[in-house]
Amino acid sequence: MTEKAEIQYTGSTGKNIIIFSVLLVIASVLFLLDIFMGSVTLKMMDVFRALFTFSEPEIEMIVLKFRLPKAITATVVGIALSISGLQMQTLFRNPMAGPYVLGISSGASLGVAFIILGFSADISPENLRGMGNWSVIAAAWAGAGAVMVLMLWLSTKLKDILTVLIIGIMLAGGISAIVTIMQYFSHETMLKAYIIWTMGSLGNLTASQLNVMLLSVAAGILISLLSVKRLNALLLGENYASTIGLNVGLSRFLILTGTSILAGSITAFCGPVGFIGIAVPHITRLIFKSADHRILIPGIFLTGSSIMLLSDIVSQLPGSDNVLPVNSVTAMVGIPVVIWVVLRNRKYQGVF
Amino acid sequence: MNNEKVLSLESLIIGYEKGGHNIPVYMPVNASGRRGELIAVIGRNGIGKSTLLRSIAGLQKPLGGTININGKEIREYSKTGLAQNLGYVSTEVVKVNNMRVYDLVSLGRFPHTNWYGKIKQSDHEVVMNCLKMTGMSALADTLITEISDGERQKAMIARVLAQDAAVMVMDEPTAFLDITSRYEIVHLMHQLAGEKGGTILFSTHDLNIAISQADKIWLMLDDDLKQGSPEDLMLEGSFDKLFTSPEVRFNTDDGTLTIKKEERGSFYVEGTGSLKYWTEKALSRAGFSITCEKTPRFIRTPSDKCGMWVLVNGNSSREYSTIYDLVRELTA
Repeated sequence: MTEKAEIQYTGSTGKNIIIFSVLLVIASVLFLLDIFMGSVTLKMMDVFRALFTFSEPEIEMIVLKFRLPKAITATVVGIALSISGLQMQTLFRNPMAGPYVLGISSGASLGVAFIILGFSADISPENLRGMGNWSVIAAAWAGAGAVMVLMLWLSTKLKDILTVLIIGIMLAGGISAIVTIMQYFSHETMLKAYIIWTMGSLGNLTASQLNVMLLSVAAGILISLLSVKRLNALLLGENYASTIGLNVGLSRFLILTGTSILAGSITAFCGPVGFIGIAVPHITRLIFKSADHRILIPGIFLTGSSIMLLSDIVSQLPGSDNVLPVNSVTAMVGIPVVIWVVLRNRKYQGVF
Repeated sequence: MNNEKVLSLESLIIGYEKGGHNIPVYMPVNASGRRGELIAVIGRNGIGKSTLLRSIAGLQKPLGGTININGKEIREYSKTGLAQNLGYVSTEVVKVNNMRVYDLVSLGRFPHTNWYGKIKQSDHEVVMNCLKMTGMSALADTLITEISDGERQKAMIARVLAQDAAVMVMDEPTAFLDITSRYEIVHLMHQLAGEKGGTILFSTHDLNIAISQADKIWLMLDDDLKQGSPEDLMLEGSFDKLFTSPEVRFNTDDGTLTIKKEERGSFYVEGTGSLKYWTEKALSRAGFSITCEKTPRFIRTPSDKCGMWVLVNGNSSREYSTIYDLVRELTA
């Protein structure tokens, strides 16, 4: 029996290659579909021509200036939030953790609230409508960065990683309270501008803003890729991870830094896009039936981008000029997954 | 076999730090272990067994003294270097959905693999061999959430074996396990220490297991840590000191424990074999002492398994169909 098992055990490499290929096709189709969908109806051929050769300047502008950046943004947002969610779930050994458990989105929203609600007398609301404004991005980034530095400092001081989680959640709550007070005292139009920011948006990014976002997300992803082995060890919990040779302090720092850069940048440019970060890691684990980050992280590139592209396509409301707030759509995709995870966990009583 | 000390503790002070003050939990420890030894750590709850094992495993900073593994102080090792020489298993249960036994065991190769954690052919062979040694080969592809607690603990031991460390520290590896798994795991540890030449240090509350299986015992008493073979410690009378309560008595003759009962008188049991043995056992549990001389009141065990127990009292006698009825009548 043992001899046989020794020869037969090959792992699941072959199966994974098939899953990766299928997911790649799905992601590519969704990417093209996302470009194809929008308020102006385009012909499939026109889109291809605009992308790969040249076509009428009008169509080319729609595709290259609006649709393509939006599809790229959706892809990047899906990947970045899902990877940070996965890292937080593993680090905290908690299936309900996500990119925002450290209070990063609250920090960003405080920064944005200061700009939109605090200085409303100096800036006209038209300038601040939604995203795409450098001052809003800078404020969000500063807020997220401040929370990140605070949490990183705390994580080196605190022994138990669960304490870090609790403080992160408390901090987020405290910041929301401050923002609520600011909302209460602010002017109607400003309030609406702020509320729209909190709904998230994938459009509205200029080419230079998209480039900055791509660069910072690339840095965050690089850190995550360098952390795969650490993440795998952390599945055992910090005690066991330490006794198999993991530098737990350094790993916490790396993983929290990577997550903060990813979640912070996305929140700065697109607002606090919800649920993707919690739901996609679970979907990915389910698809690959694996807990190995060497498989999950590359897998999330495809699942995260697919689900975000799908959410964006749904938010266009095919055949309509209206665009739904992206947060509502991601919630409708994410909530059933989260409920499913909770129900399933009761059965297995496992960590993930 | 090499006779060098693989593990040695010198004036080791274990404890923790609170508000800038060092709070030791035990007196300075001097103890050692050689290659191929299975060492049991025994002591009452709260004496500091876990703290000692955690300190050796590098999970807790000692307040003073030294811990040498393979002749080198543990602080001089790099994280990876230490993990190559020292492994750790505790009662902490690892439950991760979608993780296979193979994946869990291959994490033991962590200190030997590259930055990406690539399992090379040589690592794969080590993992398969560790699965085989622990009898887990057939479960390699099973999820760790779908195996029993005993099997999961065996997988954890396979993982620590895959780490290929000279010293393995196991903090109550058999707690929460049923009696069968408990003996299986201790037997496995005994085998591994012997065959692989590793040194296994484990804590347990099960005196029987420790006395019958361990090559050496570190006995943590209130005033000192005694080390030696179970038999030496037994003859020295060191085990008696574990039991400070007058109700519990340790029999140095056979290494068993008895709980003192009020004395109800003595009995002679007439009979042979297991029927006599278990009848005597039941009587002493009920607080009677057993004598070898015939008393006016005595018990005759049945001649075969269908017979009756007879309580003879002078000229009268009564019969009982089970030991249970007999003892109930005597203690009523």
